[in-house]
Amino acid sequence: MEIKTLKIGKKNNKLTESIIHDLRASEDIGVNKCIQCGMCTSVCPASRHSDYDSREIAKRVLEEDESVICDDIIWNCFSCYSCHSICPVGNSVAEIVQILRQKAIAQGKLEQVVTFLAFGESLMELGIGSIPLEYFNILIEIIGDEYLDIKINLDDIREELGLGKLTLPDDDTRDIKIILEKTGFTNRLEKLRAYKESNKNSKHKG
Amino acid sequence: MKKIPDKDILIFKSCLVSGEYPGVESSTKYLFDKLGVEYVLDERQSCCTGLGYYFDLFDQFSTTALAARNFAIAREIEHKNIATLCATCYAILKKACNILNENDTVRNRINQIFKDSKMDHMEYSPGDFDSHSNIFHAAEILWNKTAEIKEIPKIDLSNFKIASHHACHYCKVHYKEETIGNMRNPMIIEELAKTCGVETVDWYDHKRTTCGAGFRQRFANLDLSLSVTADKLLSLQENDVDILLHMCPNCQMQFDRYQPVIEKKLNTKFDLVHLNIAQFLALAMGADPYKVVGVQTHTVPLDNILERINQASPVVI
Repeated sequence: MEIKTLKIGKKNNKLTESIIHDLRASEDIGVNKCIQCGMCTSVCPASRHSDYDSREIAKRVLEEDESVICDDIIWNCFSCYSCHSICPVGNSVAEIVQILRQKAIAQGKLEQVVTFLAFGESLMELGIGSIPLEYFNILIEIIGDEYLDIKINLDDIREELGLGKLTLPDDDTRDIKIILEKTGFTNRLEKLRAYKESNKNSKHKG
Repeated sequence: MKKIPDKDILIFKSCLVSGEYPGVESSTKYLFDKLGVEYVLDERQSCCTGLGYYFDLFDQFSTTALAARNFAIAREIEHKNIATLCATCYAILKKACNILNENDTVRNRINQIFKDSKMDHMEYSPGDFDSHSNIFHAAEILWNKTAEIKEIPKIDLSNFKIASHHACHYCKVHYKEETIGNMRNPMIIEELAKTCGVETVDWYDHKRTTCGAGFRQRFANLDLSLSVTADKLLSLQENDVDILLHMCPNCQMQFDRYQPVIEKKLNTKFDLVHLNIAQFLALAMGADPYKVVGVQTHTVPLDNILERINQASPVVI
């Protein structure tokens, strides 16, 4: 007879264990305690407006369905933590999804993050992140030129408000660069840059 | 109830406050000055990485290392009570602090990086900071001063109907012990707004719903993002809300910048403006709209409230 419960008879727990012990996971994350009640889905904005289903993600993880890692649907989560805050057993689909996305990235699925590369570059150079140019241009397009004016006049406005400089002193951005080189972040950005370049080239050829 | 400090505070600068609504920072300083809250800012403090973290660009280890560096700065200047202006900074720093206190392997690796980089003074020892008693949202510092705020003369804004958006990363991430009041119906913003004698809509459908920014969604999945924002705007419209008060610049940006876009999409008009709770209180106390509150960086015009302010002067309510 087919075993219908999620956990009885489960032999492989590689995926659930790797999620539970991931640094991104809350220490007491209740991945294995999920009872499929669906509270997460009931409060989830992505589940309301797209094919994403929080409960289904939790289920696939419990079933050790590794195909969830490369399923594009995981990129619809808003990281709003509604599921996380309402779960009666302390599970967190929000955190699970963040960890699944990191696994996807580790497997070379970079197209979802490459467009945010400039945020990391700006943080390395100035100590403060910024909106990547291609998205910034879309913002101006839909919000209007007034938005561009705010950005052009930002230094003057900040001065009028009696606020300090937007960016960090050079010594500090240098320190940040050194730290991020040693944490492996620089390496991560380089991989993304290489991916971006190779994509550009293949597009040109195409 | 957690003990909220009013001195030795480091106002933790936020990338989105700095770049989108700098008036949130100047309004917070204005209020802290008025209330005798002792604080500093530090030019060396870096971005918390939060947006990058939720763009899935930053890994937890790198985010934690930069948090350790910022904690070291707060420790060095003896202002260990961190007050964030952004809900994501608040959640990111609390998580990083817990990891640094509890995870020996990660802490040792980060300390080794500091050692190898001649930044020994940055090294973190367990217990240096406590996520519960050292990391706050600036709105909590203000909330703790509600009685004092009541006493300060204010402009009568009682003809405006107010609702709150408490920011998911304030009330839903570290929800177990950290959110003041009931995390299912947070009331910090309402309680602060009531000091101005205004009517607040204490509950509305979608009160707990996210702003819809969704980090990557706003940029990579705009239609999905705006459909969530629209849910909330329509619910506020049903309740005839005039001002939505915020405590996170990312949420404020989502509503203030995209409201006109959604109006076009839905062919409707929302008579709704957006302010951070600190901007609102500063305005009510008579702060200059352009030199303190920073209304010049807003997209949805604040004409109605500015008109009201021009006509009146602060009185004890």
